[in-house]
Amino acid sequence: MNRPLLTVTGLSKHFGGLKAVDNVDFELFPEEILGILGPNGAGKTVCFNLICGVYKPTKGEVILDGQRIDGFSTNEIANLGVGRTFQIVKPFSSLTVLENVLVARGITRYNSLSKVWSVWQSSAEKKAALEILEHVGLADMANRKAGLLPLGYLRRLEIARALVVGSRIILLDESFSGLRPEEIGQLENLIQSIRQDGITVLLIEHNVRVTMGICDRIVVLDHGRKIAEGEPEAIQQNDRVIEAYLGRRRGKDAA
Amino acid sequence: MQLFLEQVLNGIAMGSIYALVTLGLALVYGILRILHVAHAAVYTVGAYIGLLIFKLTGSLILTFLGGMLGCSVLGVLIERFVYFPLLKYPPYVPLIGSIAVMLSIEELCRLIAGPYILTFPATLPFPEIHAGTITISSILMAVYCITAGVLIFLWYISTHTEMGLAMRATSQDIPIADAMGINSHIIISSTFIIGSSIAGIAGILVGIYYNQVYPTMGAVPAYKTLALIVVGGMGSVPGAVIASLLLGVAETLLIGYANIPLPRDALAFIAMIGVLMWRSEGLMGSR
Amino acid sequence: MNAYVITIATIIVINAITVCGLNVIVGYAGQISLGHAAFVGIGAYSAALLSTKAGLSFWAALPIVIAICGFIGLLLGLPSLRVKDDFLAITTIGINFIVEAIFLYIPFFGGALGIGGIPRIMLFGMKVKGLVFFELCLVFLVLVLLICWWFTRSWAGLASFAVREEESAASSMGISPMRFKLLAFVIGTAIAGLGGALYAHYMRFISATDFSFPVSISLLSMLVLGGMGNLWAPLVGAVILGSLPEIFRPLVDYRILFYTVLLLLMIRFQPAGLLGEDSFARHVFSSVLPGGKK
Repeated sequence: MNRPLLTVTGLSKHFGGLKAVDNVDFELFPEEILGILGPNGAGKTVCFNLICGVYKPTKGEVILDGQRIDGFSTNEIANLGVGRTFQIVKPFSSLTVLENVLVARGITRYNSLSKVWSVWQSSAEKKAALEILEHVGLADMANRKAGLLPLGYLRRLEIARALVVGSRIILLDESFSGLRPEEIGQLENLIQSIRQDGITVLLIEHNVRVTMGICDRIVVLDHGRKIAEGEPEAIQQNDRVIEAYLGRRRGKDAA
Repeated sequence: MQLFLEQVLNGIAMGSIYALVTLGLALVYGILRILHVAHAAVYTVGAYIGLLIFKLTGSLILTFLGGMLGCSVLGVLIERFVYFPLLKYPPYVPLIGSIAVMLSIEELCRLIAGPYILTFPATLPFPEIHAGTITISSILMAVYCITAGVLIFLWYISTHTEMGLAMRATSQDIPIADAMGINSHIIISSTFIIGSSIAGIAGILVGIYYNQVYPTMGAVPAYKTLALIVVGGMGSVPGAVIASLLLGVAETLLIGYANIPLPRDALAFIAMIGVLMWRSEGLMGSR
Repeated sequence: MNAYVITIATIIVINAITVCGLNVIVGYAGQISLGHAAFVGIGAYSAALLSTKAGLSFWAALPIVIAICGFIGLLLGLPSLRVKDDFLAITTIGINFIVEAIFLYIPFFGGALGIGGIPRIMLFGMKVKGLVFFELCLVFLVLVLLICWWFTRSWAGLASFAVREEESAASSMGISPMRFKLLAFVIGTAIAGLGGALYAHYMRFISATDFSFPVSISLLSMLVLGGMGNLWAPLVGAVILGSLPEIFRPLVDYRILFYTVLLLLMIRFQPAGLLGEDSFARHVFSSVLPGGKK
């Protein structure tokens, strides 16, 4: 068993009296695809935001490869090779698709006093950005203004940007929501190929079928707590999971 | 001690007038998230219309009613022709529009009525009150009573009528209010009507209080009221009122009693920064 | 060229310089600044004091003036830029009023009488005035435009655009929003300081009301009319709003009204500015303007 890349221990976030996330533990191992599932209000998004640095935990720790990152700001976490997408897509609307990716490529320059003044419109950079766009299938949109793209393409743009930043981990925030069936299939293939490139993926998702299909392991949250963890087949048959999604029933129903 | 109390009373009157003007601004901000700087021009127009009607009829009732009517019309016109079309742009666009409107109206007043200070020789039928050695003049009583009346009226509408409920709903979330069958545009126009009428009342009150009506009288409340809605908590009407009263008293004491000669606008903004450092969402804003 | 036109043209160029600074803050980094005139004033008063009380030449004082403005921009930007939109707008208005009050009421700054007797700029032993002064300002304008152009081509500029468009997304790509907002703010206020110094040596007499809030609005209007975020917008806006009052001069009494109504019409019907993407000016002049929008 190799060492976990990301460890979350005792993670809690309280908003006043509301315990949005309550004492959650899990580990993320290199090159795996881990999914976090749970019904509405389970605390998936809050958990996600705790890892990304959007919130500071009330209690608990987030450890990336031996280094504590809870309390770091989002840009500091990005600098550690963690890329993320946004559930409500956030393209840089007045920039082109290519320029959107170029912003991500700047991550190696933004903290350097000398490099930050160098020019970004070089052909080397453009070539590198174009390759990433090809990887996600957006190459022919490269010069379109990002604000004009439909949702399916924008989700791919989110992933393209996350790929640049996420040299170690990519966090996908409900990337499948709002997609048409054929787009879902394309995205599933894309995520598999990301893993084949050696990148670790953590995703939160509403779509149970998709999650079961691509994840190696799944963590299920309900009311802020972890209620199950394991491989997809085990999760499907887990009573507490079924209960969380379907509510209490008399007798047991198979999923 | 007597001087101090008299200054406090003057300060409360000043604060009440600020409250009347700031109310309109808070109402508009609450519903449209626009900084309606032109509101100060509406206030000026109120004073002029009131003066005109008073000179023509001598009737105070007609003066106030006419002022309220004129200001309502002006407020709705501004909303329809300037703000509504600019809502989709970033906030400084309607702000520049608002300032352009304010300056244009100021100029129109100057061109039509002349740049001179006109007098407003009306007396408001309020009694003079004597409490110990303090005399509260009839005009001070007028300011207190009228302001209190307006506030009570607003409170009543807001909590006891459907309109008030609809206004509060619309200010939270326009699309959802629409979905619930509230005609948001009527609500928005009503907000402007109410706010502008109150500005009209304030303009007439100030005209009578200082016995002065002149084109740039709007500049006095104009920018201060921005600081006041921030201090009160953006869009919070009770907060705006409290902030206004506090500023009125503080200003009067600092300038009259302690002799600090800083310009009043700067004082208001310094107070604003002070409050924001203590409580970043204003006195009654929500986090 | 007659002296009157040169006067107007010089003021237009000085305004264009200060509005370039505003463009970096508002156009490139997307932060609202409604108090830009305050920083022009800080530059002007610094230049005035350094030359009248400390006897420094314009050239010796200039780096100090720019440093002062940038530094004060940093100090004021730190608390201000943490807040957003409307709060930021009102805070910058407050800065304008407070700075103006300081100039007006603290005797060191000359009070209501301002500062007079500011010496002319000396270049190669000659006093710079009239057409030569205009040309000097043009040189500074070109310099400032070059700096702005370089900014848009640098990673710092790209980071600022990202922060302008979507702050949280920018943050997820390693961009510290506060750092780049501050950077843009400091560059903007430093450039404003340069404009202020030129203004002081041109008018040779300055007072607090030269830098009041309505001036900030005027500067912002020039930027918005030109089309924020566009390299040439400050120049276009300064030319238009600078020449309009002169064009309306024959109308004497109605001139201010025409000016404000025109501003209202322009903001109402063309808020993206004349150089904005869908503007009627672009439709009319279909040739491509250099520099481009970023």
